[in-house]
Amino acid sequence: MNEAPRKLSLDQWDGRYEQLRRDGLREPAYGGPLRRHVVREKDFRLQQLQFDNSPAALRLWNFLLTENERLHQARAGGEKIVGAMKDLGTVPVMACALPGARAFYPDGAWWTPCLMECSDKLLQQAERMGLDASFCPVRAMLPAFEHGGHFPRPDLLVCSAGAVCDDFSAIAQRLEHLGHSIFWWEIPRRRHPDFGETACPLPGNLAAPKTQVDCVRAELQRVAGALGELAGITLDNDRLAAGIRAANQARQLLDSLRRAVYGAPAAPLPALEMLVAEMLAIHFCSDRPETIAVLGGLLAEAQTRARRGQFVAGAEAARIFWVNPVADLRAMNLLEELGGRICGSDYMFTHALDLIPENLPPLEALARIALADPMAGPTSDRAARIVRECQAGRAEAVVVSRIPGASHCAREGEIILEMVRRKIGIPAIELEIPPVCDALRPSLASRLQALVETARARRPQ
Amino acid sequence: MDVFLTSPWIPPEWVRAHGLQPRGLGSAENFPPGAQPLSAGICAFAEAAVRFAEARTDGAVIFSTACDQLRRGFDTAILRGQRRAFLFNLPATWQTAAAGRIFRSELERLGEFLCAVGGRAPSPEVLRQEMAQSSRTRERLIESAAASSPRGFAEAVARFHWDGAFWPPPPAAPAKQTPLALVGGPFLAPHWKWLDELEAAGGRIALNATEMGERSLSPVFELEAGADGMRQSSTVGRDSVEPKLDFQGKSQGSTESRPAVTHPVTDAFRANHAFDALVRGYCENIVDVFQRPNTRLYSWLKTRLESRQARGIVLWLFTGCDLWRAEAQTLRETFGLPVLLLEAGAEPGAAPRELNRLQAFAETLR
Repeated sequence: MNEAPRKLSLDQWDGRYEQLRRDGLREPAYGGPLRRHVVREKDFRLQQLQFDNSPAALRLWNFLLTENERLHQARAGGEKIVGAMKDLGTVPVMACALPGARAFYPDGAWWTPCLMECSDKLLQQAERMGLDASFCPVRAMLPAFEHGGHFPRPDLLVCSAGAVCDDFSAIAQRLEHLGHSIFWWEIPRRRHPDFGETACPLPGNLAAPKTQVDCVRAELQRVAGALGELAGITLDNDRLAAGIRAANQARQLLDSLRRAVYGAPAAPLPALEMLVAEMLAIHFCSDRPETIAVLGGLLAEAQTRARRGQFVAGAEAARIFWVNPVADLRAMNLLEELGGRICGSDYMFTHALDLIPENLPPLEALARIALADPMAGPTSDRAARIVRECQAGRAEAVVVSRIPGASHCAREGEIILEMVRRKIGIPAIELEIPPVCDALRPSLASRLQALVETARARRPQ
Repeated sequence: MDVFLTSPWIPPEWVRAHGLQPRGLGSAENFPPGAQPLSAGICAFAEAAVRFAEARTDGAVIFSTACDQLRRGFDTAILRGQRRAFLFNLPATWQTAAAGRIFRSELERLGEFLCAVGGRAPSPEVLRQEMAQSSRTRERLIESAAASSPRGFAEAVARFHWDGAFWPPPPAAPAKQTPLALVGGPFLAPHWKWLDELEAAGGRIALNATEMGERSLSPVFELEAGADGMRQSSTVGRDSVEPKLDFQGKSQGSTESRPAVTHPVTDAFRANHAFDALVRGYCENIVDVFQRPNTRLYSWLKTRLESRQARGIVLWLFTGCDLWRAEAQTLRETFGLPVLLLEAGAEPGAAPRELNRLQAFAETLR
């Protein structure tokens, strides 16, 4: 069953899948050949991607691509569905602490135009609903809600407001106007504690004034009340504490996986699969136990390959730190095709990678993790973490990938790039990746190629 | 010292009570400062605020978190070395006590900042006087709004935001023009001539609901009747749409006490009626697009669009402003009125293309 690591096209995966089946591959209920996602779900983009050839990667992809189907099944089975929006990592921990409830991010619809190569026309529909291309691709969420056919309509919609992206906030407000009631909660813009002010340490080497932590804790108490009411069960401290422990289990696995892959002299797993694996942290792809199993499988694969000295990108590949998720998954393949590899990342939810403190009252711990959101604080805080992780991961270059239309991208790139250049002096570029980047491939490729070459040229001879 | 405010929801009364001069940034001379090269997605207003902060090192600039662009603009200003800048966290939510507590706490912080840049600790009486004064001016401006010349009214409101003074706007010339509403973000002096052009094309702004218009006058204070003649409660031209909230410093449901703060008057002010009225006066009356939900904006608009018999809406925004842009369709659906989207770019003043569109809109509705 085990083969040397390599990347396969979808066509090649057909054969590989048959071989794995013959060899006795055991799969979870959502398993099957990757091809079926193209046939049934019209995920045409898969035909343009290069996948890792391991059974662990197969399980990861099948897990990701069956989320809507699994959500519909859960709804049919009587479970309550919570649509968490924008906070990327906090509310799902709370929702998943309740029996019979599961949470997902409708925000995730931003990848649908990419996966379906815009054949779903979600972006065009969003435009007809008042949200044109000046908004982030997350606008795909709006027609996905209105017209169905993707995820089930949640029983409860919870959205953070305040220090969030304008485009997302505007889209969510439009959604509410269209009749989808939203439970709003405030996440204030995180600031550094003033002189003489009581400070609370936050995950990620951050700090916030106690007043802000108190504020967010009170807001999360309201969220807990709404979730408990939905589930018909009080979301008390015991349940929350158990939920936090389980979330931390997934976060610990992901941390080990990131260390195993990003820290290795060469890459045992590809950048694309690592991006998807990191995404599991924010809401466990609607199934926390399965997330733990999927991450465990990937970690075992990465460790085995590293032990055997088997890699998908060699030691000669330029070590790139990547900032922001890509609207087109193909971009991660492209980086490796051009001689780069990922040695660290900030996909906008580093707070969902950090462990939630277990030595604090649960809501206090969750408030601190929510405030540690890199998008809620000063851009310089985010840049400082990027610099630290670049140093730790021996990054040779940084890519800040802009999300088309995203309000935060207008300014943050300039600040991050300036701090990276000033503090560690490695080459860095900013580039924009649309949901389907084929038309821009030549210019993207030249920019990435130039970065990779520059990074390599700086190596000591 | 001049303290420039990037939002009408940062109380100038509080700045003035500290012995400093609040200035609405949008009313400043030469603002925005000429054409600026803009990176993709950057709002020209936010960029102008950053450049202004860089240049005016003799004053302080107070940014707000009302939008991502200004919030991150503050980050840029700090990175570029501006030390007299402050970021005021305006809560987006408003239906819970948390919003009031945030606003209150931000005012206290702002007070510390103002003292640090040369202000003096205010007395409750001074604050009360400042509130009474600005309240009277706001009322007079609101009372004059419907019958004023659109340009004169825009100038009068800008003047109020600049120095707090009341300059009576000239009355509107009687004419059979199509009444329109101007809704949106900051409408600055270089854009005022559009109002004249619109009138020439047969339209008239009957409701200026921009950030530099009537909407910016919505704060109202409930002070105990005193020698200054402050009324108990104001209703003139205003809506009381929400129940009163607990804006006291103590968190509901929290057993922990607030940390010590260093503002020299905070403790006195915490129990002070004027300060409490200031917090309530803003929190309960902010009318803006960034609030979640933004139903208060729509309630405010509904009353006025009806009473001014507006036949169309001109939605005014700076390129890159997602918050206002996303409202175009909702405005159409909610009010059933035609909506024209007008964008201000990097060039100050009226772009010919946009002016043409405005004229055509007025003609269409005639």
